[in-house]
Amino acid sequence: MTATLETTALSTVDTAVELAGIRKVFGHSGSAVVALDGVDLLVKPGEFVCLLGASGCGKSTLLNIVAGLDAATSGELRINTSRPAVMFQEPALMPWLTAARNVELALRFAGVGRLARRRRALELLDLVRLGDAADKRPHELSGGMRQRVALARALASTTVSADGAPALLLMDEPFAALDAITRDVLQSELLRVWETTNTAIIFVTHDVREAVRLGQRVVLLSSRPGRVVREWDVTSPENGNDEVVDEINTHLREVISGHAS
Amino acid sequence: MATPPDTLDKVGAGLDALDAPVGARKAPLWQRFLKTGVPPIIAFALLIGVWQALWASAILPEFQLPAPGDVWNELVRSISTGEAFGILWTSLHRAVLGFAAAVVIATPLGLLIAKVRVVRAAIGSLLTGLQSLPSVAWVPAAILWFGVTPSTIYFVVLMGSVPSIANGLVAGIDQVPPLLPRVGRALGAGRLASARHILLPAALPGYLAGLKQGWAFSWRSLMAAEIIATSPQLGTGLGQYLHNGSSLNDINMVIAAIFLILLVGIGIELLLFRPLERAVLRARGLTGAL
Repeated sequence: MTATLETTALSTVDTAVELAGIRKVFGHSGSAVVALDGVDLLVKPGEFVCLLGASGCGKSTLLNIVAGLDAATSGELRINTSRPAVMFQEPALMPWLTAARNVELALRFAGVGRLARRRRALELLDLVRLGDAADKRPHELSGGMRQRVALARALASTTVSADGAPALLLMDEPFAALDAITRDVLQSELLRVWETTNTAIIFVTHDVREAVRLGQRVVLLSSRPGRVVREWDVTSPENGNDEVVDEINTHLREVISGHAS
Repeated sequence: MATPPDTLDKVGAGLDALDAPVGARKAPLWQRFLKTGVPPIIAFALLIGVWQALWASAILPEFQLPAPGDVWNELVRSISTGEAFGILWTSLHRAVLGFAAAVVIATPLGLLIAKVRVVRAAIGSLLTGLQSLPSVAWVPAAILWFGVTPSTIYFVVLMGSVPSIANGLVAGIDQVPPLLPRVGRALGAGRLASARHILLPAALPGYLAGLKQGWAFSWRSLMAAEIIATSPQLGTGLGQYLHNGSSLNDINMVIAAIFLILLVGIGIELLLFRPLERAVLRARGLTGAL
């Protein structure tokens, strides 16, 4: 009895997300497209994993499945975290709400009381250094600031549970639409937030440099159908970042040129 | 990478300061009045001037084109005897009641059409068709059904304004970016919470446009109904007043009635819909139309 309890406790600590043989088919038999074919992936609590791939590798589909916005055709998905939060390429803030109220909206859906909502929203806005912009509306903010509000909102929705379940943040190319300097700043901002909140992050990108800079682990997906090709541990690259980037780039090119007919 | 983090922090703060859109400075009150208040006053004065000149040239006989002063006297007479207030009250309370009923009917109807595919397929185009049907066309039928009673008038008002309001709401919901409800779902909103906190507020500009048009339609439907369906038991509204003027061949009364009808239309627009619309659009950063 005690032994069983220990193993379950251990397994929840060990993995935040577990994907086994995830398969996703769009359309019906005749014109069916296999987007994902047997994807296995383990993410530990607090781990930062980057999913890398060319277009059509189903990385967004995979993220939607983990987020619960889409269902897998077959395969197993186990999530041992609180409700996963999603960030998209666009900030997708509600244009009629102030920054603080946008963050509060996530807490409102979770049933948090008004005062606690307000306090938590301000805390999170401070975390992304937008405490002064709490009462501004999205149109009064720059693109980078909006994306930081979206980050605060995502954090609000995943760190809301009181039982202290590990949090999970799913990011779908969140910085792709930003200019280079803003992207650079936001990447370091995200790393800082990740270190302070101990949130597991699955980050989808097609930018190898971004993946290597942010992630502890980079997972390369093949295209049509999406499968895990290879993984790299990039926490402490012995040969330095540049060589890993080159190596991953070579593999990515191989995956892409495999589709030339 | 090579940049130390505190330098990046400063870069970030600098970017925020540089990139944040600069809000336009609010002009002082007299300047705004000069820009928005003076042009319509000048236009109105010019109109009166042209009218006066036309009258003075005596191209048209007096019973067709009265002097501005005579119309003014008729207005002053009806206001000083209190007749104008009675007339305005009769019409306005009918219009407001009819409009309120239309909102209550059209809002759930619009929601149903926008969100339930079968309902949209079944009556969506009918509703759009009704919008192009002049509501005065309902007056003869309504008189046959309800007689010359307030029911006839309310029926015509409803037929005029319900399609506009419902269609406005449908258009508003159709134009909500699909990403917003998706975000709501990702944040854990149920269907009801999503409708209340995302869909309806996002559709508000379209809904408001529908309400505005619905009010205009209910006001003109009311006038049409009042002009045609006249009877002592209905009392005197603006439409009856206009009808009476025509029966008495009193052009002063006719023009005064038209002026009052216009005045109500402009008044409601300026006092109610314009500020509402402005507040809603400004909150969303849509200031181009103001």
